[in-house]
Amino acid sequence: MAESKNQAKPMTSLLNEDGDMSSFDASSIPKKLLSVLDIDKSEPLQMVKVDPLAILKIVKHARESYPTPVNGQLLGLEVDGVLEVTNSFAVPTQSEAENDMKNYQIEMMQFLREVNVDSNSVGWYQSTRLGDFMQQPLLDVQSSYQVSSPNSGSSVVLIHDTAKSEQAGNLSLRAFRLSQTYLDLAKEGKFTTKELADKGLTYGNILEELPVYIESSKLSSVLVKELQWPSGIEHELLESLQRPSSFNAKLRAKRMVDRSAVADDAEAATDSFDGGLSGLIPARPTAYLSRPMCVNALDLSQGQTGSASLLRQLEAIGDLIEDNMQNARDWMYWKRGEAKEKGRRQQYVQRKAQANAARLARGEAAEPEPTEKELDRMFKITPEPSRLDALLNTANLNLLTKSVTESRGPALTKMFMAQSLHESK
Amino acid sequence: MSMLNLNLPSLANTTNTKATAAAAASGIATTSTQQCYIHPVVLFSILDHYLRRSESQDRVIGTLLGVRSDDGRVVEIRSCFAVPHFETEDEIQVDMEHHSSVFALHKQANPREQIVGWYATGGSQLSKYAALIQEFYAQEAAPFSAVHLVVDAEMTDGELKLQCLQGSPIGVEPHSENCLFLPIPYELQYQDAELTALQATADSAESADGVAAIVSDMEQLERTIEELRAMLDRVASYVQDVCTGKKKANNLIGKYLMDMLAVVPKIDAKQFSTLFHTHLQDILMVAYLTNLTRAQLNIADRLQRIA
Repeated sequence: MAESKNQAKPMTSLLNEDGDMSSFDASSIPKKLLSVLDIDKSEPLQMVKVDPLAILKIVKHARESYPTPVNGQLLGLEVDGVLEVTNSFAVPTQSEAENDMKNYQIEMMQFLREVNVDSNSVGWYQSTRLGDFMQQPLLDVQSSYQVSSPNSGSSVVLIHDTAKSEQAGNLSLRAFRLSQTYLDLAKEGKFTTKELADKGLTYGNILEELPVYIESSKLSSVLVKELQWPSGIEHELLESLQRPSSFNAKLRAKRMVDRSAVADDAEAATDSFDGGLSGLIPARPTAYLSRPMCVNALDLSQGQTGSASLLRQLEAIGDLIEDNMQNARDWMYWKRGEAKEKGRRQQYVQRKAQANAARLARGEAAEPEPTEKELDRMFKITPEPSRLDALLNTANLNLLTKSVTESRGPALTKMFMAQSLHESK
Repeated sequence: MSMLNLNLPSLANTTNTKATAAAAASGIATTSTQQCYIHPVVLFSILDHYLRRSESQDRVIGTLLGVRSDDGRVVEIRSCFAVPHFETEDEIQVDMEHHSSVFALHKQANPREQIVGWYATGGSQLSKYAALIQEFYAQEAAPFSAVHLVVDAEMTDGELKLQCLQGSPIGVEPHSENCLFLPIPYELQYQDAELTALQATADSAESADGVAAIVSDMEQLERTIEELRAMLDRVASYVQDVCTGKKKANNLIGKYLMDMLAVVPKIDAKQFSTLFHTHLQDILMVAYLTNLTRAQLNIADRLQRIA
């Protein structure tokens, strides 16, 4: 607890009351914050550290409006290539106008600044359902964040998947930013096969993933400990034990209303309780609540083995493959058209050359060679349609198949666990 | 005499009407809250606010948002926001303009959440202005009563104590300064999605520097299984001790263990093996197909770059 006392010193103590910069004492700044003042220096982002508060706010927002995707603003600070996300707020989904949205964000940030929250936008978050979040709007918003922010590029998008978190019993939170390659290409607006190949942009490197870490303050660590092992838990444990078949170890140690089932035992138990339960309670309190927090991870039917969610994912994969075929067909069609047009142009040039040669042989003056411009006018070669859609489609397909493949591991493990349970009986 | 100085121009010059309204509000018997559910995000918000308080401040206050049951007896506190305030020996100023503007903004993103009360940090003792602030929030939360959540962020007793209170008028004549705070039973409410986030937070709280990476599903499963094994070992050694007479048997625990063993479904071995194998084949087939798709994508991508 001594450490938390230290932490409990208000963070604003660095600035004096009226925020006067002239009397600002640089020596009182913690070492790790010094680089923040150095505006010119810029380091590439290495990782993202998120405060539990921001995560919980995101999770709550996403869960309440599931399955509608939601988004919101991330607040925090970038220090030495580490993006610290300390707070977040929800942005209304059904906003009438773009302007309203901007005002909302600006006002919210102003109000938060009044209560000393980091009022520095470091990106935004978005919730997803199936995991196919590679959409044009997402890229557009993210690129506007990355281009507009002054220390360009220190904005990320956090992707949270509510369904996956719930089913796998594991928080699904990923941080992404657009790669420089994509930004360069998007600036020129040319997504042709040649450009993509030259610049090396593939479905895999549109977004760069950054590792996400959770950093909890001392005080919130204490809170988590308290939540895991509240005072008087032994009493509650005993009560929950008295309830028949109450062992789905959810955190909710709901007070028992009807104890009649074991009422005769209850009295005897309370006095003979002394050493009885202590054998069951682990020395390290975390075991009581910590792992069972993700008891879903062990659920055979609900996990990714769950046919419903798997079915949805496979359906989505099927749709994407179909789109992919369509894209390929469109591209082939264009390619054939281009080849045809090129052939006709070639023929025309050859015919002209032959005619000129014949004229020269007859001793007549040669007709002027058709210039490139004239040729271009005569034979319109349709420009290659943007490959971005196809690229995003492929990227989504890759994301989805990858997540399905990854979910097979836990599914197999659980299968064999069930088998060994069955055999051990 | 202490007074509540509401920093709201429109209210400042209509003190008279306000006073009568207050009398009316406290005179009407509002439905009392009987059960309170708290979402963990609220507690984290309060602690964050406490950490970010100004240096001169000892305590912070803020507004609690949530939903109520139709009869107002059950309250679910879902979120909260900070409200700046300033207190001296004999006066307290609460920035009510800030309060109402932020609430209006919140309403846009979360139309369902209403004001249900307020929170304050502090030691075991309530602030002497608590009754005044309570009265204000009672008006905001009307026609229901306001909930007051006290978090002992200073940890005076060595623990983060939570108290959930509601104001009750006391005395012959209801007066705004006379208010008795009665405890309400509360429970923390954890949704599945939040539990995963709390799990990750717990991992970070356990590490030395308070930082933990988000692990993959497989690692998470591995940890869970390890934990499960540890639990089984503990139970097994306890049963062993009871059998050998080292420990006194406890009927309750015995019944509980019986219950637990009884729920393991009995499946015929042949049926189980059929089920197992069909399922296994499904899993492998899906894995094979998705891997095949990815390989195809990779090949297509490489071909395009050659062309």
